[in-house]
Amino acid sequence: MANQKNVDPNVAKEKLAKFERQLLALQEELKNTSDKKKRNRLISKIEYTQGKIKQAKTGERLSRQTKRDLVAYSFIAPNFIGFCVFTLIPIIFAFILAFAQWDGNNAMKFVAFDNFVQAFQNDRFLASLKNTIIYCIATVPLTLICSLGLAIILNQKVKGRNFFRTVSFFPYVASLVAVAAVWNMLFSPQKSGPVNMILYNLGMAAKDLPKWSADKDWVMFTVVLFSVWKNMGYYMVIYLAGLQGVNAELYEACSLDGANTWQKFLYITWPQLQPTTFFVTIMLTINCFKVYDIVYMLAGGSNGVLNKSAIVLVYHIYEEAFRNWNLGYASAVAMVLFLMVLAVTLIQFRGEKKYAN
Amino acid sequence: MKKRLLGLTLACTMAAMSLAGCGGGGSDSGTTAAEVGSETTAPAKAGGETTAASVQAAEGDTVLKWAVWDISSTVYYQPLIDAFEAANPGVKIEMVDLGSADYQTVLATELTGSGSDFDIATIKDVPGYTTLVNKGVLESLDDYIAKDSVDLSQYGGITDQVTVDGKLYELPFRSDFWVLFYNKNVFDNAGVNYPTNDMTFEQYDQLARSVTNTEPGQEVYGAHYHTWRSAVQLFGILDGKNSIVDGSYDFLKPYYEMILKQQEDGVCQDYATLKTSSLHYSGAFAQGNVAMMNMGSWFIPTLIEKIKTGEYGQEVANWGIVKYPHAEGVEPGSTLATITCLSIPTSAPHKDLAWDFVKFVCGTEGAEVVAKTGTIPAITTDAVVSAISGMEGFPDDDASAEALKTANTYLEMPVHAKSSEIETILNEGHDNIMTEGSTIDEGIEEMNEGVQAIQGQ
Repeated sequence: MANQKNVDPNVAKEKLAKFERQLLALQEELKNTSDKKKRNRLISKIEYTQGKIKQAKTGERLSRQTKRDLVAYSFIAPNFIGFCVFTLIPIIFAFILAFAQWDGNNAMKFVAFDNFVQAFQNDRFLASLKNTIIYCIATVPLTLICSLGLAIILNQKVKGRNFFRTVSFFPYVASLVAVAAVWNMLFSPQKSGPVNMILYNLGMAAKDLPKWSADKDWVMFTVVLFSVWKNMGYYMVIYLAGLQGVNAELYEACSLDGANTWQKFLYITWPQLQPTTFFVTIMLTINCFKVYDIVYMLAGGSNGVLNKSAIVLVYHIYEEAFRNWNLGYASAVAMVLFLMVLAVTLIQFRGEKKYAN
Repeated sequence: MKKRLLGLTLACTMAAMSLAGCGGGGSDSGTTAAEVGSETTAPAKAGGETTAASVQAAEGDTVLKWAVWDISSTVYYQPLIDAFEAANPGVKIEMVDLGSADYQTVLATELTGSGSDFDIATIKDVPGYTTLVNKGVLESLDDYIAKDSVDLSQYGGITDQVTVDGKLYELPFRSDFWVLFYNKNVFDNAGVNYPTNDMTFEQYDQLARSVTNTEPGQEVYGAHYHTWRSAVQLFGILDGKNSIVDGSYDFLKPYYEMILKQQEDGVCQDYATLKTSSLHYSGAFAQGNVAMMNMGSWFIPTLIEKIKTGEYGQEVANWGIVKYPHAEGVEPGSTLATITCLSIPTSAPHKDLAWDFVKFVCGTEGAEVVAKTGTIPAITTDAVVSAISGMEGFPDDDASAEALKTANTYLEMPVHAKSSEIETILNEGHDNIMTEGSTIDEGIEEMNEGVQAIQGQ
């Protein structure tokens, strides 16, 4: 009977009496309340007290409920400890760091909101904020339209459908470094570059040919184009799944009413796909905020330094943290990015409730 | 402890984002931070394990840890270690390879906090040096230098240029300088005389134009400029009157005018194309259609080696070097220098022994060892120059040997507390001018404003 502890019977009795009084009071209260939420709360309290009474009566060290809880905690412990050490504590530390000045060696100095003030006076931060937002605004709708279009075409019974589906998905799985090199070759800034050659033959003056990723006015355009091409295959697959979920009877009914293809799209496909579109939009937006690799590969050149015309937030964080060792400032910028992503995520949570079915 | 905190910071940016992103796509900022983190530790670990195995430390030997890059392709590390160990029994040197591409970033991460046990750190460039000095992780060498009365004048004044607030934190052991490489075949084919050790920029420009051929399919480029800003901007500081960090860059205008005109006329390859294709300068020169290319002397051993192994063909086998072109009225032989130095971290466990090693490698004995491998040491005596020019594969004309003697050398980037920020601004200005995204005046104005803003902080 190791599970039982030796307690003074008098103490046990006193406890028991106390719990029983509590129980009675709670039961009384339950009778008098009508609010559902409150009732539920009271019921769980009563259950808890009953458990306590049982424990006091048997003299067991741990009540059954506690034991059950412990088992449950032990199941989540491996993951949760990891989460604490590698995620939770670091996040809290980053929040603190955002209000401090620190280079990793010298003493940390608390500077309140200076880092944020500094950020909004920094040209490179403002440029990166601007570029990230432009990139988002351009990439999200374009990718959406392209992937939806592809999905609709490849959802029909066309010859070699699987082949074309694979082809559209291919850019997504291809190595970024390799395709970026190919892309830069296609969009070579010279007159002899394939794309510029076409433009030249279409009658564009050699002097006006864009220098694509080496051109400060065209670099974001090139990056957006690349990103749409690379990612549309992935979102196409999501849309394909969505299209397959649309009930064919709806189309049948619609044709009986004499609707044409466009009307079918407008009144059936599009509304039916709304949850998918919502999901795709959110995912795209979040990924756009976090863009870094594509820009770095296309516009980084041989020394990997991004100019103001192409810099994005994540790159700015990296350069400030590990090249200039302004860890506090970099954390502050990370906070700004975090807030932006958080806002999008909150919208998603709200939307999920609406579309969950 | 601090090191752990830093690790947490790293993870922190990563985690905050992946959490907020609800585990979105694969290639997000989360992986970026993770990559940075793993890059910093992985090569260090791998290097540490492999080299630790090769060092056979006997019982009682003291092992010094030396941070380096590119162990396998650098020829002078092992001879230096052998020579030092022979002279100092009981001390062993263990190299740890931190990788070449982002060496300074990795080193700074390693020395952040107090957990690292490096005794000696190689310093690759001046911005990286400044960063470490600002972080306060390098030991000042002044006391050691005074104690052993090391003669700093043998470094030709370069140590004065890396003195921070009156204190010196590194000693150079290797000093590369920029010369003009040229391909004799190209000049022979065009029937033009070779470049000389005494050329003004005007003569250089004319010479480049005289060998240029713009006919499609048989292009010959009179000059080649790598995409680094130093390949163009630093022409401007060779007269000794201007500095690259003082916030006023109007003196760069004539040089940009010269090079943009060359670019327009097909004398040199288009910057934008070079940038997007990330063409390496060695590849450009090896194609055999480049007449002249300004580059650092570190290219000499590479060129000799690659011609010897047959990787580069006959079209470049006949090469030579001459001194950098110079502005009117400036002594020929004025050039840019890049130094490689040794430092002792404040956290080093064996500082006195580390200083013995630093003193040895950076001294005359070390210089001779380095010179024997074809690399130019920081102390250039006549013996050193003749050792290099006498190497097999080095051009046998007198002008090339003469080109190894420098007059005034200026650091590519002088010591400045904000040098890495200034570097970013100058890179951007250079990029905008060379891609013709900005006019020369606009680009210079951008640089003036940007650098002055940084200095004003």
